[in-house]
Amino acid sequence: MIKTLNFILVCTSLVGLVGVYALKFHVEDTASAKSALERQIERQQASLSLLEAEWAYLNQPTHVAPIIARHNEVLMLQPTKPTQFAAIDSLPMRPVVQLDTTALDVLFESLESGVDPIEQLIEASENGTAL
Amino acid sequence: MALLSEGAATIALDGARKSRGNLTKARIRWVILALLIVFGTVAGRLIQLGWVVTDTTIEGQARDIITASRPALLDRNGLEMAVDIRVPSLYAEPRRIIDVEEAVQKLRTVLPELDADWLRKRLTGDKGFVWVKRELTPAIEDAIFALGLPGFDFVQESKRFYPGGKEASHILGATNIDNQGIAGIEKYMDDQDVALLQSLGLARGNDLTPVNLSIDLRVQHVLYQQLSDSLVRYKAIAAAGAMMDIKTGEIIGMVSLPDYDPNNPQSAFEDFMGKKNQRFNRVTSGIYELGSTFKTVTMAAALDSGKVKITDTFDARYGVRFGRFTIDDFHGKHRVLTLPEVFKYSSNIGTIKAMQQMGKEDFRAFLTKVGFDTQVTIELPEKRLPTIPERFSEIVAATSSFGHGLSISPMHMLRAVAAFANDGNMVTPTLFKRSEEEARKLYTPVISSRTSAQMRYLMRLNALEGSGTRMNKEAAGYRAGGKTGTAEKVVGGQYSANKTLTVFSSAFPLDNPRYAMIIMVDEPQKENAQSGNTAGWNAGEITGRVVAQVAPMLGISPDFNEMLDSNLVPVEIR
Repeated sequence: MIKTLNFILVCTSLVGLVGVYALKFHVEDTASAKSALERQIERQQASLSLLEAEWAYLNQPTHVAPIIARHNEVLMLQPTKPTQFAAIDSLPMRPVVQLDTTALDVLFESLESGVDPIEQLIEASENGTAL
Repeated sequence: MALLSEGAATIALDGARKSRGNLTKARIRWVILALLIVFGTVAGRLIQLGWVVTDTTIEGQARDIITASRPALLDRNGLEMAVDIRVPSLYAEPRRIIDVEEAVQKLRTVLPELDADWLRKRLTGDKGFVWVKRELTPAIEDAIFALGLPGFDFVQESKRFYPGGKEASHILGATNIDNQGIAGIEKYMDDQDVALLQSLGLARGNDLTPVNLSIDLRVQHVLYQQLSDSLVRYKAIAAAGAMMDIKTGEIIGMVSLPDYDPNNPQSAFEDFMGKKNQRFNRVTSGIYELGSTFKTVTMAAALDSGKVKITDTFDARYGVRFGRFTIDDFHGKHRVLTLPEVFKYSSNIGTIKAMQQMGKEDFRAFLTKVGFDTQVTIELPEKRLPTIPERFSEIVAATSSFGHGLSISPMHMLRAVAAFANDGNMVTPTLFKRSEEEARKLYTPVISSRTSAQMRYLMRLNALEGSGTRMNKEAAGYRAGGKTGTAEKVVGGQYSANKTLTVFSSAFPLDNPRYAMIIMVDEPQKENAQSGNTAGWNAGEITGRVVAQVAPMLGISPDFNEMLDSNLVPVEIR
């Protein structure tokens, strides 16, 4: 009775020993993986911040203006003069076209009654060429 | 006695088994004692270790303060003005270094600029943390890492970077190597108490909300270009200028030259043209006699007092005498002038008479009202108190009315002119974004809206017919107007005729004013033989060129309709 109990206890402690050591090494591995990842994140954040700074620098008027000055032979850019501005309101309206309403009325009436004056014209010209 | 002798006899009579049992008990006691001592030692050591406080500071500073980042600063349209970059910094733990000599030798192959003796001294000892070299490049970091030295490591520090370089130096300020603000907005943000920092989203941590400033980088650029140009064109020794949204009090642009590079804060202490301490912010921390520009203030005071009307006339035939002194006009007309003519011809005599008609006490009180007695409230630590005499004598009041004998900062003048254009409502300037609604709560009325309308007329009149015509030619169509000022500088206790400070304070578009501007040029020379060196020729022209360039950016379209100008004329003199 006491022998089996001892045997079980020894086995349990052996399993416990192996388990704890395994856990310890596993944690150490995880910790080093974690610090490696942290290091990687830190480096990526660093390079990201550098890229963002560069982007900001490239967008500055201080950076863009000299480029324009350098290439102005091709670009030919000049500051806009006040006289070159205009508002939509100051554009003249389209000239008013007087529609010949009576002629249109006649056209619509003849179309309604089944006579197409354009078709008649085409037919007449075809007949003319045939003749 | 018999009992005692019997007891002694019992010891001798102990059996072998019993005596062995006693011996075992004694042994067990010894073992228990030994175990207690061992475990006691272990427990004691554990408690001792538990009490040890590890030093996590970096040479006296908490690690998170050093690695803390600052919020990015953006202009009003979201363009970056200041950003944080992460840079590696090399530190050593001397107590973990095995071979100091080897470490010194190897480190100097990568960082040859380090002094060997200095490095040796630094790495020897029992310290937990010493900086070796801060703010390195990633390439150097890799090279040092490859050396495989024990006891060395890197911290990713935050370093401030100003992509615009010099352009907004006086607004942004600078930070030191520990990323703490030492000037400008950067210092202001650090000086604020925690509650305000949090309300702005500036609390220390990783997730920092970027802060929008009121500056428009495009306007700032134009202002900077034009003022830099003025140093060359007019051979001036310094120039400064600022522009403000009169409705919200937001500063749209602010430049002071000579300046420094915030990426290299030491440059702020460099000499400029052989002179020391020239690179300060002239807009807020310089005070000047602003000359005739001050007549705008005098006229506003006189008209608002009710004792002077826009229809009044002033006898400017003879100079005003104060004992031995006679004050005369620079461009003397020597006739009776109407009030608008006094302003247009910048008549000293007329201005003094208008001031006298109002009363010098009222004039002095008005200067207090427009805030010329105190510092301007703005988010910059660099400010200076104006010098205005507490009480005006007759002659001091007279010279003050045309801007001599009292010194204010250009920012004071800008705020006052903005108030005169903004229906008489004065608002504190700010470098942070502010809506018109918020600004309205801060309005302090300084003149009536009727006087404001008259001031707008006078300012525009000066651009059309007076000393501002050169400005108006450059900024045609944008209805700008303002007042010139050419102040003689005091050299060796006397006013000098050829060393002048020229100023132009203006507002535009005057039919519906939105922006106020002040431009100041120090000791300008004639551009060429045909030109003059009074304010209209330099500060005025600069103003005109700036207006012509920035107005379209700010959504103000040119309008050549003459009705706009004639509408500005007050009913009384139409």
